[in-house]
Amino acid sequence: MTNSLRAIWEYLKEISGENAYDRYLALHTATHPDKPPMNRGEFYRHRQDEKYSNPGSRCP
Amino acid sequence: MGNRLGRYGVWVLVAAVGAVCWGMLALSRGETVNAGWLLFAAIASYAIGYRFYARFIQTRVLETDDSRATPAERLNNGRDFEPMDRRVLFGHHFAAIAGAGPLVGPVLAAQMGFLPGTIWIIVGVILAGAVQDMTTLFFSLRRDGKSLGQMAREEIGPVGGAAALIAVLSIMVILLAVLALVVVLALAESPWGAFSIAMTLPIAILMGIYLRFIRPGRVLEVSAIGVALLILAIIGGGWISESSAYADAWTFSANQITFALIAYGFVASVLPVWVLLAPRDYLSTFMKIGTILLLAVGIALTLPAMQMPRATEFAFNGQGPVFAGSLFPFVFITIACGALSGFHSLIASGTTPKLIQKESQVRIIGYGAMLMESFVAVMAMIAATTLDPGVYFAMNAPATVLGDTVQSASQAVNGFGFSVSPETLQSTANAVGEESIVGRTGGAPTLAVGMSAIFAQVTTFLGAGLQAFWYHFAIMFEALFILTTVDAGTRVGRFMIQDLVGNVWRPFARTSWLPANLIASALIVAAWGYFLYAGVNDPQGGIYTLFPLFGIANQLLAAVALTVGTTILIKMGKLRYAWVTALPLAWDAAVTLTASWQKIFSADPLLGFFAQRSAAIEAARNGDLYGNAENAADVQQIITNSTVDGILSILFATMIIIVILDAARVWFGLIRGTKEPEMSEAPWEESNLDSEGREVAEPVGARS
Repeated sequence: MTNSLRAIWEYLKEISGENAYDRYLALHTATHPDKPPMNRGEFYRHRQDEKYSNPGSRCP
Repeated sequence: MGNRLGRYGVWVLVAAVGAVCWGMLALSRGETVNAGWLLFAAIASYAIGYRFYARFIQTRVLETDDSRATPAERLNNGRDFEPMDRRVLFGHHFAAIAGAGPLVGPVLAAQMGFLPGTIWIIVGVILAGAVQDMTTLFFSLRRDGKSLGQMAREEIGPVGGAAALIAVLSIMVILLAVLALVVVLALAESPWGAFSIAMTLPIAILMGIYLRFIRPGRVLEVSAIGVALLILAIIGGGWISESSAYADAWTFSANQITFALIAYGFVASVLPVWVLLAPRDYLSTFMKIGTILLLAVGIALTLPAMQMPRATEFAFNGQGPVFAGSLFPFVFITIACGALSGFHSLIASGTTPKLIQKESQVRIIGYGAMLMESFVAVMAMIAATTLDPGVYFAMNAPATVLGDTVQSASQAVNGFGFSVSPETLQSTANAVGEESIVGRTGGAPTLAVGMSAIFAQVTTFLGAGLQAFWYHFAIMFEALFILTTVDAGTRVGRFMIQDLVGNVWRPFARTSWLPANLIASALIVAAWGYFLYAGVNDPQGGIYTLFPLFGIANQLLAAVALTVGTTILIKMGKLRYAWVTALPLAWDAAVTLTASWQKIFSADPLLGFFAQRSAAIEAARNGDLYGNAENAADVQQIITNSTVDGILSILFATMIIIVILDAARVWFGLIRGTKEPEMSEAPWEESNLDSEGREVAEPVGARS
């Protein structure tokens, strides 16, 4: 029971983009260890602006 | 042999269950049919379609290759290109394709009875809709996530490509107008609804500030806060509607709400996204998925009986009060999204292909998510047909036909061949906390009444008065994601216009340039605002007039996607299997073109726009009234509307014919060998990810 609840929680975090910053941090330290990463606020604002600069389409 | 039996035994069982359920639906002698049969007929059919047909398409037709690196792997930049877990991507893709269409279409199609619509929802998705989504996703995947428009241009040619672009833009306008119309019709003269939807604005702004500045990126936390505030807004709406002073202040006419929506659409398109659009996106996604799950649980627990007949006479005589035209082609046009939706091809060739880990996953994401969408449509059909048919027709016929009182509505429904007492109409309205439910067209209120009856039955242990809460919960859920679509669609339309004009005059294409932003936003809002206003004030009924156009437009886009798909299949040397997309295309083209033909050339003024135009002009010349018009201005309105809508029908039909003819030219060239099968596929590269997305040292090499 706790296991499946934890799985659902992880899934929600993944699907809502809540853990997008953690993933970014991991990728950043792996690829550009010399440059300082953005903090959570900067990263989120940057990502949000970028995502909607081309909102694509969605269904009715 | 025994092994084989074991492998297929379970599928024989599934097929048998499906056959029994379909049999009960079609042949049961009882007064009513239980919705459970419909639910299981759908699930069994989907399972078989997914296991056999989707697998056939994956392994034989597309020959997906898991040793081939996908764009997400090759071009991984941690942003738009990034391998994403298939379960997470399934959720994202489903949230993007599931909208108001599959909820509204089946409700309107229910005027022909539950069976014709249901058969198309289930058969259509298995053979056409899911196939379109899956193949488009795959072809875009092989082309680094190119859009449908780009693929049309590259694989067919500049003429077909341009026609596809114009089609997309004009379809967007009609789409936004019809969806906004659904919201207007649900909120007009409803203080409860108007208040709770208005409250979503401050809630969204609050969430936006929280997400951007207070606790950046804490999406789950802010969504939980948002949903809690939404529930409060719904409860608050109930208090408003009970106090007469506040109720009057929050009661708005359809035209007031129309102009509020137009102003809102413009402002939302111009403002930075974090203020309204982004927080609203989260809110509506959670509400959408949550409510769909609730509805599934509610139907499974209550197993209601369907009150609507299997097929009504409107299926054959084409005289239905909800929309004109007979079963072929209009049931297919009306169901639209739940069975085959052209809009999905825009998503399947945009965001999703850039995130797929493995080629074989197009089956679960493309085909699977569309099956889910179809299931949503089945549930909408159930919710609408479990209503008393008399109530259904009293809600969905145009208000001008029904008159202003429950008595006149009751008489009008008798005229349709159904019966409902004025008392029933009044008590239904009271139960859902509305003044009146007569003439509440657009599908959303009907669905909300059906859903609230199901939910209220589940929650009877909490008390009897909950149906009104659930009704407004359902209205909130539909209005919320329609408004999100209006926000986002207006923005997409704005970008398209900036892009189009940018071809002539470069600076206009810069999306950050404020004057261009304002002008393009105003243009797109004016376009859909015009059709919205015309729809709200259409004496013949806005949904009655515009919904068929919306359906035709959507099915037309599907034809473009299937044409592109067929072209690519032939180029891949898969002529033998080209029927997989060519047959749905032939069917879809037959449906769309027949519907367009009737809308343009039919001599029946209820069906043909130009026949209606001439009849109304004739009436105006003699100083008579026409149709449901109450005065001379109404007659003029009918003349204008039928002219504009008729011209639009011609435009849609012309576009589809151009795209198909241009593609057919390419097909024959390819088959006769006079044309080289040039494809714009990205070159093969070895994949280093396993099926769970983990990096492996040795290349995978496994073909699926």
